[in-house]
Amino acid sequence: MNSLSLRRVAIATLLAAGLATTQAHPGPSDASALSALPIAVSVAAPVMLLSAGATLTVVAVEASATGTVWVLERASDGARMSVTVGAQAAGGLSVAAGTAVVVTAFSAGWVLSAAGRAIAYIPNEIGSALLYNERVTR
Amino acid sequence: MRRPLQAVALALAVATGAAHAGRSCERQAPRAENVQRAMALAERTARALDDSGAQVAVVARAGQDLSRYGLVYSHLGLAYKDGTRWRVAHKLNECGSAQAAVWRQGLGEFFLDDLFDYRAGIVVLAPELQQRLLPALADNTRLAGLHTAAYSMVAYPWAQRYQQSNQWALETLAAAQSPGVRSRADAQAWLQSAGYQPSTLRIDPVTRLGARLTAANVAFDDHPAEKRFTDRIETVTVDSVFAWLNRTGLGAPAVTVR
Repeated sequence: MNSLSLRRVAIATLLAAGLATTQAHPGPSDASALSALPIAVSVAAPVMLLSAGATLTVVAVEASATGTVWVLERASDGARMSVTVGAQAAGGLSVAAGTAVVVTAFSAGWVLSAAGRAIAYIPNEIGSALLYNERVTR
Repeated sequence: MRRPLQAVALALAVATGAAHAGRSCERQAPRAENVQRAMALAERTARALDDSGAQVAVVARAGQDLSRYGLVYSHLGLAYKDGTRWRVAHKLNECGSAQAAVWRQGLGEFFLDDLFDYRAGIVVLAPELQQRLLPALADNTRLAGLHTAAYSMVAYPWAQRYQQSNQWALETLAAAQSPGVRSRADAQAWLQSAGYQPSTLRIDPVTRLGARLTAANVAFDDHPAEKRFTDRIETVTVDSVFAWLNRTGLGAPAVTVR
């Protein structure tokens, strides 16, 4: 079972039909629910999987150079997407193979949730324009 | 009878710049609908700021229910337009510790917190103050100039031992408005001369003791004894800053975005 880093990793993500690129910043370690929200650093998905209400299942959790990759699959047709979130330390959320994930679309992107809790936010262009994270003082 | 812990916690939530203060670093993921609500609020706030024509504004969020203190908002930041995007300079307490740092974030991060109420407060600053603040907000050295890392969520407005989040923003605004300000003491002297009045919170001894014992980010030892021992805790709140800006003409009346 993989325990994912939940510390916030703000990022710009442009989700075009297939791929997103990004850069990562460390998040503040202040106390907030947000600090437990990973923002996707990259996403590879067929557009249809990002339709509202799609229900997927985690089929694999992998470490990569840029973070942790979740591979999600729709049972009905086997369509897959992968979501990379930053692997910065912090615990709290465990996403393991077999976890059911719901994709919800809204004006600023998509939220992936498991049992009602957001496990990742995937910003679209509108959402990306609203995100930025820079620590100014030590 | 001792107060229940909840009352202590609520008193701790006392406002102050620390929307984050008083909580330990939660690990629990936010509810999916709250992520959507926060980002939607950020989007609407960006639109309202765009529509205002301003380059610089004060923005506030409602992280806690502070109605028992007669307050609406818990935390403010200085927002400015960087090209086509809005950025917010604000100070965040770190995991309920006695330290805090200044951050530059997007409106998304600003609202992606565990909000009590999904509303934003906006005060557009007077044009001249906007022009003075704009270069300071883009300059990390100037943002750090009046920052004190030692943090208390109820820091006394007229002392320099601690500095809470709203206080940092207010003092930074003062430094931009008054070129003679070189230190926090200068900024506070200017704010006094300019008629700024902090909020006075009634916090009784039991609550103060509980807070001091259980929360690293709450301290009362910077408050004058005569005020502290009569339960009068003065600190910089969003509502008091909004009222002062409006009273002095340094800012427009606050606008609410929902």
